[in-house]
Amino acid sequence: MRRSISMAMLVLMMVIGPVAGAHDDDEGDTLSLRVGLTQPWTTLNVTAGFTVSEFEIWTLQYEGLTSRAADDFEIIPGLAESWEASDDGLTYTYTLREGLRWSDGEPLTADDIAWTINTSRDQGWTNHISATQNLDAVVVDDRTLQVTSSVPDPKLPEVGAYILPRHIWEEHATDGEAIVGYEALDGVGSGPFVIAEYAQGQFLRMAANDNYWDGRATLDEIVFRIFTNADAMVAALQQGQIDAAHNVPSSSVTTLEGDENIEVVAGLQGGFDEIALNGGEAEGQPHPALLDIEVRKAINHAIDKEAIIEDVWAGQGEPATTISVSADPKWIPDIPESEQFTFDPDRANQILDDAGYVDTDGDGIREMPGGGEPLVLRHAVNSDSTTAQSIADLYVGYLAAIGMRVELSAYDEGQLFDLIVNGDYDSFAWGWVPFVDPDPMLSYFTEAELGNWNDANWFDSRYDELYLEQNQELDEDRRIEIIHEMLRIFYDSAVYIPIAYTPDIQAYRVDRFDGWIRQPADIGPVMFSMSSPSYHALTPVGGGLAGDTSNLLLIVGGGALVIVAGLAVMVSRRKKTADERE
Amino acid sequence: MNLASRQATVDAVPDPPTGGGRARFVGKRAVGALITLGFVLVFNFFLFRVVQSDPVANMFRGRNIPAERLEQLRTEFGIDQPLPTQFVLYLRETSRLNLGISYQSRRPVWQEIQTRMPATVLLVGTSAILSALIGTAAGVAAAWRRNSKTDYSITSSTMVFYSMPDFWLGMLLLMVFAVSLGWFPVGGLVEAGSSATGLERMLSQIHHLVLPAATLTLAYLGEYALVTRSSLLDVMGEDYLTVARAKGLRDTVVRNRHAVPNALLPVVTLAAINFGFVLSGAIAVEALFSWPGLGKATADAIRGPDLPMLQGLFLVFSTAVIIFNLAADIAYTFLDPRVDRT
Amino acid sequence: MTTAGRLRRRRTATRVVRQFAHSRPGVIGLTVLGIFAVVALAAPLIAPIEQLNPVLSRASGNPQWGRPGEFLPLGTDHLRRSVWAQFVWGSRVSLFVGLAATILTMAIGSTMGIVSGFVGGTTDRALMRVTEWFLVIPFLPLAIVLASILGRSIWNVIFVIGVTSWPATARLVRAQVLTVKQRLFVDRARSLGAGSWHLISRHVLPNVSGLILANATLAVPISILTETTLAFLGLGDPSSASWGKTLEEAFVNGAITRNAWWYFLPAGLGILAVVLAFTMIGRTLEEIADPRLGRRP
Repeated sequence: MRRSISMAMLVLMMVIGPVAGAHDDDEGDTLSLRVGLTQPWTTLNVTAGFTVSEFEIWTLQYEGLTSRAADDFEIIPGLAESWEASDDGLTYTYTLREGLRWSDGEPLTADDIAWTINTSRDQGWTNHISATQNLDAVVVDDRTLQVTSSVPDPKLPEVGAYILPRHIWEEHATDGEAIVGYEALDGVGSGPFVIAEYAQGQFLRMAANDNYWDGRATLDEIVFRIFTNADAMVAALQQGQIDAAHNVPSSSVTTLEGDENIEVVAGLQGGFDEIALNGGEAEGQPHPALLDIEVRKAINHAIDKEAIIEDVWAGQGEPATTISVSADPKWIPDIPESEQFTFDPDRANQILDDAGYVDTDGDGIREMPGGGEPLVLRHAVNSDSTTAQSIADLYVGYLAAIGMRVELSAYDEGQLFDLIVNGDYDSFAWGWVPFVDPDPMLSYFTEAELGNWNDANWFDSRYDELYLEQNQELDEDRRIEIIHEMLRIFYDSAVYIPIAYTPDIQAYRVDRFDGWIRQPADIGPVMFSMSSPSYHALTPVGGGLAGDTSNLLLIVGGGALVIVAGLAVMVSRRKKTADERE
Repeated sequence: MNLASRQATVDAVPDPPTGGGRARFVGKRAVGALITLGFVLVFNFFLFRVVQSDPVANMFRGRNIPAERLEQLRTEFGIDQPLPTQFVLYLRETSRLNLGISYQSRRPVWQEIQTRMPATVLLVGTSAILSALIGTAAGVAAAWRRNSKTDYSITSSTMVFYSMPDFWLGMLLLMVFAVSLGWFPVGGLVEAGSSATGLERMLSQIHHLVLPAATLTLAYLGEYALVTRSSLLDVMGEDYLTVARAKGLRDTVVRNRHAVPNALLPVVTLAAINFGFVLSGAIAVEALFSWPGLGKATADAIRGPDLPMLQGLFLVFSTAVIIFNLAADIAYTFLDPRVDRT
Repeated sequence: MTTAGRLRRRRTATRVVRQFAHSRPGVIGLTVLGIFAVVALAAPLIAPIEQLNPVLSRASGNPQWGRPGEFLPLGTDHLRRSVWAQFVWGSRVSLFVGLAATILTMAIGSTMGIVSGFVGGTTDRALMRVTEWFLVIPFLPLAIVLASILGRSIWNVIFVIGVTSWPATARLVRAQVLTVKQRLFVDRARSLGAGSWHLISRHVLPNVSGLILANATLAVPISILTETTLAFLGLGDPSSASWGKTLEEAFVNGAITRNAWWYFLPAGLGILAVVLAFTMIGRTLEEIADPRLGRRP
């Protein structure tokens, strides 16, 4: 008898499997956008988290004091409908929109904003502090707010801080420690969507906010679903189990582009990938040859960026000259091609020959000038990255072509981070995604950040001077000039080999929703951008949805159950009669 | 991975109790299990304190964090204390089921484990039961028609499944049945964000369960088939079966009434022990199918690495083995006629 | 005594070879293994190592994701490298790790087992307690934890497998040593005043070596499969691509959604074939070493 039940279970699976697989789970009348992600949330608390997937949730839930235009990142009204600067540029007076409300119906006033700015500054909230550390906010009246900066701050009038509802957060914000422990599932916000349901490691549902100042979105809800495996996510998009996907692996792009129902978007927003050489300013021991700028230049010339982009990122991405420091490309200096480290192995070999690095013992590997230590470099492979191994394999090949050997070791991100801080490596490959304001990215390569975020283990006193200068330069053109000079200094040091401006590859089904917006225009992504304007703008294709399949599933399931039950009874009866006959 | 269970095979049958009653035997085993648990705790603590990594710094790569804040977090995670203090703290907190805070999710490890346990029990339980039933049935069939074509094909096909990496089998099933044919979903426990309840939700879960469960069932059943087969062959050589046949009883009766029950003893023991091991056995397969259970939690925790999470999972896996070993011992006293029952 | 001993041993060897030659699974396993051994040893001849260099692969115009028909014999991967070359060189790494880890396992397990069984008393009880503890620690999670702590290198993987899989061997060897100890001639040798080392090397070791060999042969597949799983979970050595590492790279780079079966089929089949071969040889040896198992397949 026990056996017949287990057989019944098997039959049940076989029967349901193929039929149910052909259909999606639509939810009746709810207009739902389903987005696939590969990066799970570690927390939904805006004072604790730091990952891209978390920022997307906060961007949707908390409207900023100001916002950024979809096309060109221009600062546009958000909660504030207008603002005015004082003559010295230190004080801004904001006027809020009329009748602002939180999603739970409570009024949203200047007090919420002033409280957020002042408390985050005093308590040092992770994601707020760099924006609010020099600010002081004063409530003038419910709709008027005055913000004063103690130093000239080129970032104003934007205050890069998520504005939180004081009536929810105040009780948790007793100090900077306590607030981090709050789970923040209250779902009270001012943006177009707010958190409605959260299943750890599986999905997060956001519901449209009825009180959004720009009106309720057409979508009723957004469901973000976590996939551990990017391949699974791609297949789910093709099968229509999700409507859009973030962080699509570049290896799937060709497959998806062949699908007429799917649009692939390679969104550029400042992210880049680099191979970093050890600049030698940290404590540890890089290979002595790396301290010679000529060797670093030679390595730069040896790398074929276009080949790496084609083979590792399936052609998704632009060859990088220098690093990018902002989602806005205007901060990147133009470097004349004659001054670039173009792919040229012959030139690289020439540089090394001229500098005295020749192969004295005939083993195919160059030695230090005058013989001695061979040029064998240690490259650290980030085992948490899906592309690091491929980049490493190519790097080995390119350096072999200029008479250097590379030995690989793999480290997870924690170990790699320690390794970099200790300076015990020669090179590694990693990537950055900068914010819109260039300041944070620029700060990483200052002397003060050695042993911390400065993973080039390099610094330059002129660069540091310029850094302080741009930090307080209110004239944007002048600031751009200064930053261009800084990036030129960094580029010429040849310590970072920027490989590619890597896109955030996203894909969506064209048969489900219309109205996707790229930010910035033409080149940017449609989701997970600076202010993610798409979600509020989406409308369903043809105004309707695919038929409801839940009934079908029920019928099929029920039918299968009947069949199985019948089989089970038959089997058990046959067995019984057989027993009786004995 | 069914490697762990493979190792257990060697010790599938515990030493028969010597003297004393069943109660004393069980009591002795229980005390042994407790001592083992103590060892696991000590081992677990020191294993993880060998690592001196700074997870806090790692967590915040790419963000502007003041140095004082990093220090605060180190204090928060207790990684600035001396080792002996940490050990005492560890014992005290573990006894309260406080296994620390996951670096990755910042939620209590025990809470994370509790959340993920049902998914693993569902997947691993289904495949453990199915593989035991199907495997045993296949083993009986093979032994009964020894050296026949049936025997040959059963033995060789189970050997093949037994010898391949389970996740590779999963990759093949995934490519054929999910990607190419589209019959089954490519991963997950249930449709994301689905508000379905009751039967519909259950059907969706079963639908998601098929591929990973089929993978693990195929991977595990070989061992049961082989053990059952050789055990049954041993039993069948014994005299009383010849007597039974001589009495004119039909083959099926001899098989089902006499041979199989006796031959199943080692299989049951094997199953009990295996259940303890399989909890940790599905790491690669869960990762492959994005199955949100303990195995995937382990695979995820390798990144980082999320040491408190790994440590907690390791403790849970070890405890499961200890408990099921004890269960196997107890089951054994009921099943083996040789055990003294006074 | 010595002559008689040698004679007996030679007779045993002849018997083993003869019995082995008559076992079909044994012969098949040995043949398959022989083929892989030749492939591994001749790797530089049949697939020059340059074929693993993605820069040279690109320079020689290999297609990306080339199907077996497009690029002989087994197609190419995302970095245009020959899958055949990866298969050939991967066999080296997988077999090496499997054998080296097994040797370590056997060394630890046999030492523990022999010492425990031979010395007896408190030492025995203590060692067996430790062995039992290690037996309940789930093997794969322990290997994962150790590998992620120690770092991702081929030697660490070998070490990790060795220190996690010895307990089963230790128990098996101990049981066998106890049986041997019971035999009369050991007592007689001891009464003649032979030292412990003499006893172990002349009497205990020769008598348990058959079992150790059979056990070792059965431990190799476990080592290979463990290495494969560790590599698949991202704990493999980045500079020596084993079959497991190939499977991981295929998976990570989207071979499944792309239906690029040629990328992950060869490595998996290679593992399957080698594991089956070792299992068949091991079972045959086990039967010969322990005739009570003779009734098994």
